[in-house]
Amino acid sequence: MKIRSAAAASLALALALSACAPSDDAADDDGPITVGLIADLSGATADVGTPYHNGMLGYIDWLNDQGGIDGRQIRALAEDYAYIPDNAVTLYDRFIREGAVAIQGWGTGDTNILAERINDDEIPFMSASYDETLVDPSTRPYNFVVAPTYSDQMRVALNWIAEDAGGEAGVAVFHHDSAFGQAPLADGAAWVEEQGLDLSLTNFPMPGDGNMVGLLRRAHNQNKTYVVIQNVSTPAANVARDLADQGLDMTIVCLNWCGDEIFIDTAGPAAAEGHVFVQPFTPPQADVPGLADVAEYLDGRGQTLEDVGLHYAQGWYTMHVMAEGIRRALDGGSLSGEAIKEALESAPIETGGVVGGGTVSFSPDSHRGSSGTGIYRVENGEMTVVELGVTP
Amino acid sequence: MAASSTGTYFTSYRAESALRRTKAEWARLALIAGFLLALPSLATGPLHQVLELHVINMVLIVVIGAVGLNILIGYTGQISLGHGGFLCVGAFTAGVFYQRFDLPAPVGIFAAVVFTAALGAFFGLPALRLKGLYLAIATLASQTVIIFVASQWSWLHDQGETMNLSRLRIGGFEIAARGAGHWQWYWILLVFAVLSVYAGRNLVRSSVGRSFMAVRDQDIAAAAIGVNVTRAKVTSFAVSSGFAGLAGALWAHYRGNATPETFVLETSILFVAMVIVGGLGSIAGAVYGAAFMWMVPELITKALLNVGGSEWTSRVPHLEMIFFGLLIMLFLIFEPRGLDRIWQRTKDYFRFWPFRY
Repeated sequence: MKIRSAAAASLALALALSACAPSDDAADDDGPITVGLIADLSGATADVGTPYHNGMLGYIDWLNDQGGIDGRQIRALAEDYAYIPDNAVTLYDRFIREGAVAIQGWGTGDTNILAERINDDEIPFMSASYDETLVDPSTRPYNFVVAPTYSDQMRVALNWIAEDAGGEAGVAVFHHDSAFGQAPLADGAAWVEEQGLDLSLTNFPMPGDGNMVGLLRRAHNQNKTYVVIQNVSTPAANVARDLADQGLDMTIVCLNWCGDEIFIDTAGPAAAEGHVFVQPFTPPQADVPGLADVAEYLDGRGQTLEDVGLHYAQGWYTMHVMAEGIRRALDGGSLSGEAIKEALESAPIETGGVVGGGTVSFSPDSHRGSSGTGIYRVENGEMTVVELGVTP
Repeated sequence: MAASSTGTYFTSYRAESALRRTKAEWARLALIAGFLLALPSLATGPLHQVLELHVINMVLIVVIGAVGLNILIGYTGQISLGHGGFLCVGAFTAGVFYQRFDLPAPVGIFAAVVFTAALGAFFGLPALRLKGLYLAIATLASQTVIIFVASQWSWLHDQGETMNLSRLRIGGFEIAARGAGHWQWYWILLVFAVLSVYAGRNLVRSSVGRSFMAVRDQDIAAAAIGVNVTRAKVTSFAVSSGFAGLAGALWAHYRGNATPETFVLETSILFVAMVIVGGLGSIAGAVYGAAFMWMVPELITKALLNVGGSEWTSRVPHLEMIFFGLLIMLFLIFEPRGLDRIWQRTKDYFRFWPFRY
């Protein structure tokens, strides 16, 4: 009896307390606009995550110096999640609690596990994951992908290989053993089937220890002459180095997270020579108008585009696309998730030639921001253009 | 030696076997209850800079898992590096019942406990032949096998390796979105955590619990006095995994997803660390350890971000690891028996005062 009455009393108290649960307040005042940044600065993808994140912070700093958005400053909540998906949920909950109107995420695994929350909370969410499942607004109405998807990049890579080989060829797909690495595998296989490409595709999950010799030997024994890599730069550079050490005649085709100067520097120009990148973002040495602002901002801090690398501008312009959405939504008088989503879908956003074909455009039917990608080859330690604006 | 209160006499067996026997113990319980009831208000009100409800909710879930692991490691002396795997089983079982079979959530949670316990008993079988580090390696196999199955079995996945769970609804009641949802979850999770701690406390006082401890202290002697060592070990694995299954199921429902990427080997090691830092062979220790290991890194990060601002972000994770690592090292040097022992010593200090012992 005693226990029962105690239980009843505590239940009553609990209900009374939940009556004063906090309510959600809109962010429509004159204070700063809060944006959350989930970053990988210490995890498995930190080599590319750090410059990307610094690019976002750089853009926010630059924008705030220019007077912010309609006079309102951007307040960035930025934290590392060490590439552990569950940590991203903690950060997401924290950013929402702090009043974030939109969130910049990072990986494929964490963007996937946040799906229910993003849809429930109606929070515009951009990720550095270009997983094809994120571009369909009927299932993921608040996810936006600025670049060509991993699947599109894979299709471009396979088309290029088929053309380069000029006949039958064996292709090994080395991938990070995670949702990120697996994202384009099925679509790649389907593409070969669909287009009737004369390629035999085999997938190999990459070991975490940095030794790729075993993997390369296995691929070589299966007569693979091309290696498509869906991983970040450092492990991909290990592949290039081990490939050179073993003296095997294979060409690496890096998708966007390993096709960069980190790959070239880590592998060494000799080992990187001749390998190919499918990279939708413009490298620092390219002459496009979009890089001018970035270069000028960096110059003020004693740095150059080459110092910070390709992923810096990638982070910068991903943040720019989100900021443009916020600006348009604010002009329309509301900062709700719905308003920002509609603003992003309303018209293309100019990126001065840095992202994909130059502009990023979303529509209510598709959140595939762009589909054009560049193909580059490493020559004398530099990324040289093979072809620009390639679509599958 | 720990001080015990004197002058407490019992007139019935019932009174003697009560969990709390002195006024001081009841007063402490009342204080704890008051604190737990006020916690969500504090976390969203005056203490919102330090405490976050969504972090506290995770601590409540983790507490359940840590209590389970302490029964296995602390009370039965069987090391397991597979606890994360069992949480994963609980998470997916609850998800499958809720999302794929469309059954009510409580059914799924119950099924998660039962199924994970059965699986735990199975993976505990090597404990009958192996001890110490050898057993640790054997349990590593269970971790790897479970994660492998969970990541390869595509029927489980909605996207990538993830199964998404829609917001919890029981009958006509549905959890609210955003802040209010965390608030409602707190009460649900609190009930589960309190019941788990209560069950753990009582289990280790029962004949089953005593047989666990006998096996831990000297299994040959235990067998000689009639303890069924096989049954004790397998039961301990089952009970421990049952707790893990419950924690995993709640984790999946609260976070809205189940994915093997959450329950990797690091998670298993984190749970072992919770049990060691909290105090082996103490249910209260499991609670302290879980709260410590989950909240302190968050607090260190917060403090560092406050000191340095956003320019610092890229240094914070590394500094946080250094500080947290240092803290654990100091702990193990100055009090290897964990947080629970520190609390005991504090109590003793006041009980013996003004004498030292």
